[in-house]
Amino acid sequence: MAKPKISTDWMCGCAGCHMSLLDMDERILQVVDLADLRSTPITDLKEPDKSGVDVGVLEGGINNSANEEVARKFRQRSKILVALGDCAVFGGVPALRNFCGVQEALQRAYVDAESNEPGCQIPNDPELATMTKTRAIHEVVPVDYNVPGCPPDADVIFYVLSELAQGRKPELKDDLLHWD
Amino acid sequence: MIQLTINGKQIEAPEGVTVLAAAKQNGIDIPTLCAQKELTPFGGCRLCIVEVQGFRVPIAACTLPISNGMVVNTETETLKKSRKFILSMLFSERNHFCPFCQVSGGDCDLQNAAYHEEMTYWPMQPGWNAYPVDTTHPYFILDNNRCILCRRCVRACGELVGNFTLAVAERGAASLIVADTNVPLGESTCIKCGTCVQSCPTGALIDRTSAYQGHERAMTQIKSVCVGCSVGCGLNLIVHDNRIVRIEGNWEAAVNHGILCEHGRYDPMQNTRERITSPMMRKNGKLEPVSWDEALGTVVDRLKPLAGQGEAGLAAIASTRLPVEALSMFKELFADGCKSQMVTSLEEGMPTAVLSAVAKKQGSFEGKLDVLRNADTVMCIGANIAKSHMVAGFLVKRALPIGMHLIQISPEAGPLDEYADISLKNKPGSDLALINGMQAVIVKEGLGRNPLEIPDMDAVIGEALQATGLNAEALAQAARMLAHAVSPVILFGKGITAQRDEKLVEALIGLARLTGAVDSERAGLLSLKGEANSTAAALLGLDEQFVLNGHQAVYVALGDDFASKRLLQSLEKAPYLVVQASYSSTLTEKADVILPVGLWSEQAGHYISLDGRVQPAEEAIHAPEGVRSNAAVLAEVAMRMNMPAKQDWKVLVHQQKSSVVLSAN
Repeated sequence: MAKPKISTDWMCGCAGCHMSLLDMDERILQVVDLADLRSTPITDLKEPDKSGVDVGVLEGGINNSANEEVARKFRQRSKILVALGDCAVFGGVPALRNFCGVQEALQRAYVDAESNEPGCQIPNDPELATMTKTRAIHEVVPVDYNVPGCPPDADVIFYVLSELAQGRKPELKDDLLHWD
Repeated sequence: MIQLTINGKQIEAPEGVTVLAAAKQNGIDIPTLCAQKELTPFGGCRLCIVEVQGFRVPIAACTLPISNGMVVNTETETLKKSRKFILSMLFSERNHFCPFCQVSGGDCDLQNAAYHEEMTYWPMQPGWNAYPVDTTHPYFILDNNRCILCRRCVRACGELVGNFTLAVAERGAASLIVADTNVPLGESTCIKCGTCVQSCPTGALIDRTSAYQGHERAMTQIKSVCVGCSVGCGLNLIVHDNRIVRIEGNWEAAVNHGILCEHGRYDPMQNTRERITSPMMRKNGKLEPVSWDEALGTVVDRLKPLAGQGEAGLAAIASTRLPVEALSMFKELFADGCKSQMVTSLEEGMPTAVLSAVAKKQGSFEGKLDVLRNADTVMCIGANIAKSHMVAGFLVKRALPIGMHLIQISPEAGPLDEYADISLKNKPGSDLALINGMQAVIVKEGLGRNPLEIPDMDAVIGEALQATGLNAEALAQAARMLAHAVSPVILFGKGITAQRDEKLVEALIGLARLTGAVDSERAGLLSLKGEANSTAAALLGLDEQFVLNGHQAVYVALGDDFASKRLLQSLEKAPYLVVQASYSSTLTEKADVILPVGLWSEQAGHYISLDGRVQPAEEAIHAPEGVRSNAAVLAEVAMRMNMPAKQDWKVLVHQQKSSVVLSAN
């Protein structure tokens, strides 16, 4: 039987969850023994197979129209979708800007910030993705497993991936469950 | 007793108790958030829901009284799912993103509850409303975005401390914790006791000085005793890297049950005085650092010849912030060893000398602070409990809204006057006449619990009115209120003891006996005393007034205390001054020898509280290199003078007749 396929990507996140994934060190060899690691932001393949993957893992929340596309693509192509990290599960740090709104946030970042030179403008190139309210992945597509943490420990990520790769359901509690 | 079943287990509990309390008493833990010991149950968080047979829906256990035959289940599948959902709703309400909150990672009750229920995500996202953050208070910050509206702070401010500054404004999702009529905390009636901060289960109320200093789980918690005053509140010191990160009240301490006042919780963290880290000696008019050997050697060379020289010899004075161990050595060295007649404490017996004198004749007559917890009427005379010994004041103030009567007697106006049922402003010096007058009214109207002969009652009352300047009705009302009390307590302070009049104290005891405040079962008479070891100083006989009369040298064991103007004035003419102190001050500038000593938190030792509790304080942090403890310095001086300390303070303190009964806690 073919090994289960795993694809990952990141959206509105800091890549910290992927760094934490790499922190599982030599255990990554066990993971690739159990599963076929397909596309990730840090390897050569960039999209999950059109024929679908078994497990799709997404880091980061949804912040603009481009993220929405990635999330929908992943949901469509993955049998099981995992939201990895606080940003994916809750919205995380980027979600704080929801307290003041997109316009105010853009105005502050691109125009008013003390480090900006005078005459800076909010970018408006038509090719740019449209910014939206920051959302957790489950607000846009249904999610099968939520793995909170900022970032989740390497132990937790290893546990989740190896359980899923062996067809079992990971359960997060005690030491494996934390949001910081 | 009521019989009920919880989780299939037959249990018994007294009537009136809630399901939550009954479960806890029988080892069954139900998760809670808004519940806190000693606070009236609120029933707001809904986390403690249980299933009761015959009830239509799950119900909060914290507000449900038990009844006979109740069958309760606390851990069903429905309840587990419901609790998870309730928690996710609490999280979705406001800003509960954990990563950048400093209580995340073990110090947040909300987070711990959610971990316990294995909540991994929120089905509903927040409404993204930004709530106000109040940063106007000097000691803490109120962030309404992290608040779960459990009202622990509001209840603590009212029910534990009696201040009622905090309240909830608006309704529903717009509810906010506010101070007074929604004024900035820094401009409110807040008395800065910090009980609200200690009660807050989340990071809504944050202590400023300790925020972001690291997880508490990586720090050490040390139980100790506050040395701010004679009350002797129990402390929980949070210590890390040889630093006190935060001072909290010990919830388990018998004296204060976790409450502290500004002086105990925050003053020690605000210290800006400069530490002395080396012995110093005056050479050619200038203070220079020297070795311990040289400093101690010089002290002994100068002081030993003055032993036994009476008023041409030496005098010694010590701060009552020093532990009993040090005070005992101090007394043994200077009073017994050097035979000095002028050995006393900075308080000069003002809060205690007259009490000791009366105790010599009558035995002990004071009770324990616990009597305030059950008192229905308190007469407070010569004490401002809103300003000093504040935790004792809290015990009174918090009971006023629930029926305690307060009779406040003082020549001066005070903050509690407007809360007192009766406030008497008598002329200064008329306290004895006033008390005699009250006794006469009580006997005349036949309200006394115990018999008392007063030959000419009307004359006594007349004298009282004359001396105090009060009108007859006011005096009579106060007397009647005290006499009608079921469990009266009489509190008095320095306003009385400073007069050093034995008859005055005896009259108070008489009034206490007459009204039943003191009898074979109750001892409802308490004097607030002064500093941390006022009582110990009294027991060691360190309660003389300090008068220099040609003494050739003075030894001041100041410790980490302040040198008052009064002390500086009295030492002005001292020819030779040895000071053992922690901080630089005007006094150390004048000294001939300075011996650096540790702070209250840098030494282990015992303190005897105003009601006779002998409580241990722990060494929470190490003193800087080169600094020794108060007791160690005195011991070494004594040894070098060939007068080594031999007596056991535990024996010594029991030798003097005391107005208080000594106890372990």
